[in-house]
Amino acid sequence: MSEVRYKLHPISALINFLKGLKELILPFVIIFGANLFRGGGIGGMFSEGWQGLLPLIIGGVVLLFMLIAGIIKWKRFVYWFEDGELRIEYGLFIKKKRYIPFERIQSLNYTEGIFHRPFGLVKVKVETAGSGKAGQAEAELTAIYRAEADRIEQEMHMAKRGYQQQAVVEDESALYGPVQAAVPAQPEEEIETRILYRMSLKELLMLATTSGGIGVVISGVALFLSQFAELIPYDAIYDEVMIFMRFGYLVVALTVFAGLLLAWIISVAMTLIAYYQFTIHADDERIYITRGLLEKKKVSVPFKRVQGIKMTQNPLRQLFGYVAVTVESAGGTLADKDEKIRLFPLVKQRAMKPVLEELFPEFDWSPELERLPKRSRPFFYRLSIAWLIPAFAALGYFFYPYGLWALVAVPVIILMGLWQHRSAGYATTGRQLTAQFRGVSLYRYYMMKKRIQVIAVTRTIFQRRRDVASVHATIKSGMLGATALIPHLARENAEDILAWYEPSGQRQTDPDDEHMKNPQPNEIG
Amino acid sequence: MNHQPKNRISRKGLTVWRLYGMIETVVFALLLFGIGVLTYFFEWPAWIYAAAGGVFILFGFFFIYLFPKIRWERWRYEVREQEIELQHGLFIVKRTLVPMVRVQHVDTEQGPILRKYDLSEITISTAATTHTIPALITAEADELRSRISVLARVAEDDV
Repeated sequence: MSEVRYKLHPISALINFLKGLKELILPFVIIFGANLFRGGGIGGMFSEGWQGLLPLIIGGVVLLFMLIAGIIKWKRFVYWFEDGELRIEYGLFIKKKRYIPFERIQSLNYTEGIFHRPFGLVKVKVETAGSGKAGQAEAELTAIYRAEADRIEQEMHMAKRGYQQQAVVEDESALYGPVQAAVPAQPEEEIETRILYRMSLKELLMLATTSGGIGVVISGVALFLSQFAELIPYDAIYDEVMIFMRFGYLVVALTVFAGLLLAWIISVAMTLIAYYQFTIHADDERIYITRGLLEKKKVSVPFKRVQGIKMTQNPLRQLFGYVAVTVESAGGTLADKDEKIRLFPLVKQRAMKPVLEELFPEFDWSPELERLPKRSRPFFYRLSIAWLIPAFAALGYFFYPYGLWALVAVPVIILMGLWQHRSAGYATTGRQLTAQFRGVSLYRYYMMKKRIQVIAVTRTIFQRRRDVASVHATIKSGMLGATALIPHLARENAEDILAWYEPSGQRQTDPDDEHMKNPQPNEIG
Repeated sequence: MNHQPKNRISRKGLTVWRLYGMIETVVFALLLFGIGVLTYFFEWPAWIYAAAGGVFILFGFFFIYLFPKIRWERWRYEVREQEIELQHGLFIVKRTLVPMVRVQHVDTEQGPILRKYDLSEITISTAATTHTIPALITAEADELRSRISVLARVAEDDV
């Protein structure tokens, strides 16, 4: 009865085409670029007869092929609902069918790109728990109307509640046309959810200006340049560079600075666009995060998939009292690795707390942290200095006396180490483990005992001598694990954590004694 | 720490590790031999021979004798009703506690060398990590595997 087959919006043919094109850009640029530099520009291409035009012809054929492929992909793609499953049939050469039971669907994530928005379309990503294999039962509907996306959601809810008769929905959702008319109507689901947080413009600016995105852009530019290094006619440039150099270092420095500034501005703009109108909603089952100016994204996380919460503070942001909060959630795909679920890209510590308390009432957000003992202090700098000694020796020897300036690094490393020592700590409150440690940025993990997969305690020979140990707690995050570290804490405390974690709880009854070797009562076999 | 996990891995595991050490040493010796040949042809100073010999002996001592011995003595495991505890490590001693509830599946595996000595390794996977007990008598490993999988099914979440 419910075997009405739905198609995607025709615009998805264009999107398929452009997506294919994106992958081809680099080879294209290289082929054409190389030709341009070789044979006296575009004019040369035409003057060489058909052989000169070969790259153009090949390129044209490939383009045409991509375009047709995009259209066929769209033509072939159908989805429908049957037997409580979302069924999809697609494929360019090989016809593929994918059936996803509704109860297995973890979340539907919406993205609205620039092509989607004029038509009120969304891209829907269907996420399942993914039982360990990367992205297996995943589906992506390139472009459908908002209302159609809501229909999937409704079907899903119905299937989950066990209603087998989908009579009501069927009437409304005839085929393509009628749905189109219903587009402007806001989906009800947005009314149901509570809006918990909206990122203020100030926070957005703060995020954009202090984000590490600068580095990404710079390395991107460097990478881009290195890609084309062979194509740039260095001989011609070289003379100009020499002239340029004579202007002195000031000009060079200024240029570098201007370049960095530009990179920074680009990164600021990119962040602004990506996180524009960042909003957190929630209903009883899920958290919804929407964001984006040009491409509007909506991500949903079921509460029961949340494994832990991670807070990150780089020193600059710490100074201003800002935090970034990410949700570590199970499942998802490897491909979406960069789509870490950022609950708060950046937020004032004070503003964050009430929202977190509302979202996750079972967590204690400001537990009293147990700090590290004084004796563990040297562990934070000793090793790194030991590694550097040969380098110092070499520098001092070969570049005497200036090389000795390298020793300035020693107090810096020690101060950093002391800071790391002061920052680290942990707390076990009830069923919750809070772990805090610092690389350069400060990290704090909040984890429930039932979500921790494994706890490991490590000790080196030196740690044993000073009676300290490091604790590693691993939770599931995406397809892999995320490990929280509590470095170099007192051995008794490490024992306490293990005892707290141990399901049988036999350690807890143990007196904290060195020489306990009597057999354990709980053993079997 | 106060009590170590009580089970050791099979004594034959030490023999296998020694064997691995010997293979590594042979490969390393080939490398040193190459240096020796170069020294001969290019008439580099003679002390290089002595140094190579010394390095060879040291390498053998560490990789055939000392490291396997420490590793073997360090390796402990214990499978209890509600958790698995492992201890291993050469320089860094690592103790791992895996609750039974978290165990997703258990595999046993044996390569050609392990098979010759009738040994198997057990791999315990959780949702996020995998842990290997490297050398157990095959029958023992099979028994342990089925025991863990039964316990893992029975174990209840404490929520």
